[in-house]
Amino acid sequence: MRWKKKDLEMFFQSKEFIDTLCIPLIPLDLQTESEAIKLADQNTSLQIISDELERNYTGRIMLSPAYTYIRSTNYESESAILNQWTSMLSYDHFKHIFLLTYDVNWKKHERLLDSNLIWLTATTIDDYQTDQTKKWINEQVTQISELIRSFW
Amino acid sequence: MSEKKQQVSRRQFLNYSLTGVGGFMAASMLAPMVRFAIDPVLQAAGGEDMHAVVDVSEITEEPQRFDWTVEQVDAWYTSDVTHSAWVYKDENDEIVALSPTCKHLGCAVNWAGNPDYPDQFFCPCHDGRYYKNGLNVPDTPPNAALDLFEFEVKDGTLYLGNVKENPVQEGGA
Repeated sequence: MRWKKKDLEMFFQSKEFIDTLCIPLIPLDLQTESEAIKLADQNTSLQIISDELERNYTGRIMLSPAYTYIRSTNYESESAILNQWTSMLSYDHFKHIFLLTYDVNWKKHERLLDSNLIWLTATTIDDYQTDQTKKWINEQVTQISELIRSFW
Repeated sequence: MSEKKQQVSRRQFLNYSLTGVGGFMAASMLAPMVRFAIDPVLQAAGGEDMHAVVDVSEITEEPQRFDWTVEQVDAWYTSDVTHSAWVYKDENDEIVALSPTCKHLGCAVNWAGNPDYPDQFFCPCHDGRYYKNGLNVPDTPPNAALDLFEFEVKDGTLYLGNVKENPVQEGGA
């Protein structure tokens, strides 16, 4: 399920089956060109991974629009806002909430978070159409879904 | 002499030319309307959106999942959408291409996804199951069989098109 009219209509009809929420965490940083480009590229690949995850588990996972933040943030206060986000969204709908991120700072502050953090190591992808990239993305999706399924 | 020359009177001439011009104008208005009205018919006659998916030689009796990407143009933006299909040859050597979309809530099903049922499709979301021909196993969440893809084989390559309802009624491996 996605944050789309058609999907939400279905969601409210079959709420009891959709018990998992996934939120991609997307950092922004415009201070240097190279960092900005790197983060934008990570944004693309994280979106692809979450899209694939949603495509495979449409009937049980709700993919939230990405949580976007400034990377030089104070992660303690950011965690508080994020917790507020997840507690509002989970309000008697979702039993499992997963945060997907490439940002290692979240891993360092994991204990402050109320939801399950899935931290992925980032790689730079030049061409999303190659077979190797597709294989890599498939592999990532398989491993993440294996982890998520262990919570079900 | 002058009698013979005036076979067409002025009145007749005007009548003819008015009918002619009027008819031409009516036709030029009606022709596009007719074209619009029967447009769906013409569309269906033309080639469908078939996509090359896999070499026929790769298809086995064991269902395999094949992915392909389609460029989808929505009103506002163009995006690449990935589709998947489970393809196998049945006992009559006929190709079967099943849609992986579970009829319950739309998750993707996997062949032999549950080790307890190695000869069935399994939906990991809510334990829905389907027989090999796509029919839903009774008493599991789905209430319809997996959809079939329209397909054609051209030059040894399998092309898949739109999904259609699966007519199977009886289960079986």
